[in-house]
Amino acid sequence: MEVAEVISITKPSSSRPFEDVDDDNDSDVEMNNTTNQSIVTPGELITDDPIWMKGHGTYFINDKTYSSVAGTVSRVNRLLSVIPIRGRYQPETGDHIVGRITEVGNKRWKVDIGAKQDAVLMLGSVNLPGGILRRKSETDELQMRNFLKEGDLLNAEVQTIFNNGIASLHTRSLKYGKLRNGIFLKVPSSLIIKSKNHAFDLTGNISCVLGVNGYIWLYKTNVNNPTSNNNNNNSNNSNNPSITRLEEESSWEIYSDKNDTTITNSIRSNITRYYNIIKALSYCELGITEQRISMGYEASLAYVNLGSLNDKDAMETICQDIINNEKMRGIN
Amino acid sequence: MILSPAERAYLYESLVQKPAIRPGARSDHQFRPLEAKTGFLPNSNGSARIRLNDGSECIISVKSKVVVTRGESSLIEVDIDVPGFRDDSNFVSNLKFSLTNLLITKFPVEYLRLTSKYSFKLFIDCIVISHSSYPLSLISLTSYLALKTTRLPLLTSEVNDEEIEEQPTFSDDWDNAKYIHPTFQPPIFITLGVIGENLLFDPSIEEEQVLENGLILSFYKDKVITPIINMNLATNSNNSNFKGLNQKLIIQSINLCNKYCPAIIKALDTLIEQDDENDDTDNHIF
Repeated sequence: MEVAEVISITKPSSSRPFEDVDDDNDSDVEMNNTTNQSIVTPGELITDDPIWMKGHGTYFINDKTYSSVAGTVSRVNRLLSVIPIRGRYQPETGDHIVGRITEVGNKRWKVDIGAKQDAVLMLGSVNLPGGILRRKSETDELQMRNFLKEGDLLNAEVQTIFNNGIASLHTRSLKYGKLRNGIFLKVPSSLIIKSKNHAFDLTGNISCVLGVNGYIWLYKTNVNNPTSNNNNNNSNNSNNPSITRLEEESSWEIYSDKNDTTITNSIRSNITRYYNIIKALSYCELGITEQRISMGYEASLAYVNLGSLNDKDAMETICQDIINNEKMRGIN
Repeated sequence: MILSPAERAYLYESLVQKPAIRPGARSDHQFRPLEAKTGFLPNSNGSARIRLNDGSECIISVKSKVVVTRGESSLIEVDIDVPGFRDDSNFVSNLKFSLTNLLITKFPVEYLRLTSKYSFKLFIDCIVISHSSYPLSLISLTSYLALKTTRLPLLTSEVNDEEIEEQPTFSDDWDNAKYIHPTFQPPIFITLGVIGENLLFDPSIEEEQVLENGLILSFYKDKVITPIINMNLATNSNNSNFKGLNQKLIIQSINLCNKYCPAIIKALDTLIEQDDENDDTDNHIF
């Protein structure tokens, strides 16, 4: 019996072999002084020129601007801010996110989205069973736990950010709502690259919700209702659901906790394959996009034993494959 | 940690399959990969650190003190510190008791004897910097590394001091220090999750939430020994799947451990050898 089959114990390595390939992309941000872009640490003096306006990630003492986070300095016109390298997710209006209910309160749910504060989801911002035209009533307030309860996972969109930084969410679309038929995983939110679509179908009958907040849901593709918006065949019916369809689907079913009964073992192992690919991307600190996940899938097909994808070497090989693949296709 | 009902159901269904489909696609008997380093604390006799990919981390330091054998109830003292838990909480005292008990009953104390009057006493201090799943196995693997690399100063005075009033004296050359014993192998704990007919080695925190039972086996000198403990591994959450344990599974778990644990010991020993070889060349521990 091979030791490697049971456990792999390695020495810590001092450096990761990958540089963030997206580094060069920062240059398309408009800056007065691009040459001066540098990494600063908390408390480091950025400038003693009082002409700069202080933005996020900075503080100001005696006309001097200091960095309050570790990150890169960004100067847009007169605004000086520091973009943190790591940190909690900062919600922005329009972000497609995945969250977990932490609290059921008065006409609202609290949702953990990995930000500094829990987001709120108002009872008025969800689709209630019975269709879009229905008003919320007192009975709805009383049975909020029947819709969503503590621990439930949902995907939603950030509707607004309140003055105090709390995000308000909504699920008023059929692509949002409770999540079923799959598994959840977390990666640092800084690794998620914002794109048009954060919900897509992947090869192998798997779909993915790549929350901008770094929360990811991998699940079996719903045959009746494909998630993919960029898929030409069904772009009309998933982008603009007719009111009748909304009414059909806004039954209690959208809040059901029951999984499909027909999740086959091949689907389950495909889900674990994607799970490991995303873990590998996150281990190598590569930005995560739909394309990279797909390329990772192809690269991972070389591994018959999926368990070996947990190893450092395998993860690095997969990421190297993805980078080579991107170079060949001329991306970046 | 709370899972949603749909997540729980999916995870449970996946894990009861034959063979189990675990979230990270590990096989039943596969551990999560570890990163380990030994002998990095200059002020300790032995030290070790293990880190997992998910950020779980444990650091152990072993220090020794010369004591009068007769005055001590035990020659090993373990202390465990887990952030977020009080030192007198059930969680920490259970961990502490399990480890202390295992070491005291299985540690060959004669290796610590210096003279007829004096002995070394070992203080094993564990800090669990971060953990997701039940940390006992992590702590015990780290303690294996730490104890295995513990070096004690060489005694230069007489071994037989029954007749003479003399305190032991030691060689002041640290290079002469010796390991506890060349063949010494500290005992370790292995966590197993029970779900359906399956036994899963080293369950992750998500898996712990849906397990039907948890087993902790101790392993020493190439075979499973007592204590064998069963417990609910999901701390701080009510595991609704938790139920009684099938006796057959206990026998099965012992057989599995006897089969796979030698590989773990071997991997740990290999790491120690590698650390010994390039002791001076690489000093980074992170």
